[in-house]
Amino acid sequence: MNKVASNTRAKDFAAARSLLINLTLRENRSKYKRSTLGWAWSMVNPLATMLIFTFVFLYVFGVDPPLGSPSGLKNFGFFLISGLLPWNFLSAGLTAATGSVVANAGLIKKVYFTRAVLPAASVLSWNTNLLIELGVLSVALIFVGQFVFVYLPAALVVIVLQMFFVLGIGLCLGALNVYFRDIEHFLQILLLLWFYATPIIYPTSLVFSNPRITGPLKTVYLLNPMVHFSEAYRDIFYNLRSPSPSTFFYMAVSALISMTFGLWVFRKLEAKFAEEL
Amino acid sequence: MSDQNAVIVENVSKKFRIYHERNQSIKQMVLRRSRGVYEEFWALKDVSLTIPVASSYGLIGENGSGKSTLLKCMAKILVPDEGSVVVNGSISALLELGAGFHPELSGRENVFLNGAILGISSKELNRKFDEIVAFSGIERFIDTPVKNYSSGMYVRLGFSIAINVSPDVLLVDEVLAVGDAEFQMRCADKFTELKGSGCTIVVVSHSMEMVQSLCDSAAWLEHGSLKMSGPADQVIRGYLDHVAHNREATAPAPAAPDPVAPIVPDTAVPAP
Ligand SMILES: Nc1ncnc2c1ncn2[C@@H]1O[C@H](COP(=O)(O)OP(=O)(O)OP(=O)(O)O)[C@@H](O)[C@H]1O
Ligand SMILES: [Mg+2]
Repeated sequence: MNKVASNTRAKDFAAARSLLINLTLRENRSKYKRSTLGWAWSMVNPLATMLIFTFVFLYVFGVDPPLGSPSGLKNFGFFLISGLLPWNFLSAGLTAATGSVVANAGLIKKVYFTRAVLPAASVLSWNTNLLIELGVLSVALIFVGQFVFVYLPAALVVIVLQMFFVLGIGLCLGALNVYFRDIEHFLQILLLLWFYATPIIYPTSLVFSNPRITGPLKTVYLLNPMVHFSEAYRDIFYNLRSPSPSTFFYMAVSALISMTFGLWVFRKLEAKFAEEL
Repeated sequence: MSDQNAVIVENVSKKFRIYHERNQSIKQMVLRRSRGVYEEFWALKDVSLTIPVASSYGLIGENGSGKSTLLKCMAKILVPDEGSVVVNGSISALLELGAGFHPELSGRENVFLNGAILGISSKELNRKFDEIVAFSGIERFIDTPVKNYSSGMYVRLGFSIAINVSPDVLLVDEVLAVGDAEFQMRCADKFTELKGSGCTIVVVSHSMEMVQSLCDSAAWLEHGSLKMSGPADQVIRGYLDHVAHNREATAPAPAAPDPVAPIVPDTAVPAP
């Protein structure tokens, strides 16, 4: 009896893995299917955002771009994009994962499969996007004389940790969205707040040099895991140095807590998906 | 022991919430302090049955008696609140109103998606693709989004996938009724062939003819409880007698249309 159970679990796992790959590829393929520019959109969006913010900050506000060290870069475009790409992954990945279970109601009510592959495929598909965008960014950095490829192993660790961090939240929200359909709307408001609470359009040093932001507020600020992820990406893709061990530690703990909690919530709720949808 | 039984259902009970008012948003929930007003409803009550390997089993009973619910418990889509369901081997299910298709995707894409869900490798699927499409008989429409399929075409494709992935247990709920006569005959032949190769088949149907000709054994559910199980012809006779009896008792005026009777004509049971 026990042997049968563990046998089916192994089979379930193999099936879930191939299904996950299948669904991810499908989402990748369909993402820009109907548009003339196709995958180029994946570049156009961050580039447009970068141009707009650069214009606003450099020419309207007259802000001096932060100096990358040791890279010596002093370019608002590169500064911004290094924080914006991982943010876009979080934002798009969470939005897709949150809607993924409800969007596949037809499948859930008719066939059995490991339900968690739905949010996972959404997150993985946007993660593919991130990989491509970072690849293009790396090539662009080489053109300005920055050999970022040395830090690619560190970058991969950061990307994987962020993927798990996003997936954990995505699992939780995707499951809750079955019960409360307005989670999707709440998420958009949360993302707006979260964007400004994360060093994307400004450097972390701005927060710490601000005399009005005191001890406890700083602690609260640092509790946001995205601060550390953003720092790590900026270290690699703007400063050209390896993120500090404490940053790695924060990221790993965030990913672990997020996944544990997300899986726990998902497991608790998934048994009733078919009847609630 | 478990080698001889494909499906073992033990004391299964399943309850649903019947919502009178449902709060499906956080806003409503916070305002009203509850997820809604509901009552509990037991769709299955203490059902036990075993289905031997390579046999065919029919589930019959009136509308709302819990047949589809029981089948979904076997398919692992619903989780019983009490009791347990054990299915030995791979399951392929074709539940009410067709397969789990993605309406926007074409028939071809859905074949591959469904295959992946059922755990079939894409290599194997490529090999079986032509056979699946040929059996369904909708070659011309295979690249059309399935939302534009007729209900018969929908079922044809779904059924064709379900049987061509060589499942150990095949669960079919009602759907075959929407196929045309030719397709239904082809399905009946396929059932015999599958059974011969060791596949176990469970069908839910209101067509007593179909259950009679197709199934070795049957179970009759009433209001979620198992009323009778055993050889198909006996269970069917019991069920039809009960329906006829009820009709006499509840409809004294012959002019009044009976809500149950038209579905199951109380004519003589066709010879096996
Ligand atoms: N998701 C659900 N939520 C609430 N009630 C449900 C749900 N699914 C089924 N029910 C209820 O459970 C009961 C049994 O339903 P089921 O679909 O199993 O009936 P059935 O025997 O298949 O009927 P039919 O012959 O009409 O197909 C019905 O009263 C139905 O309203
Ligand atoms: Mg039914």
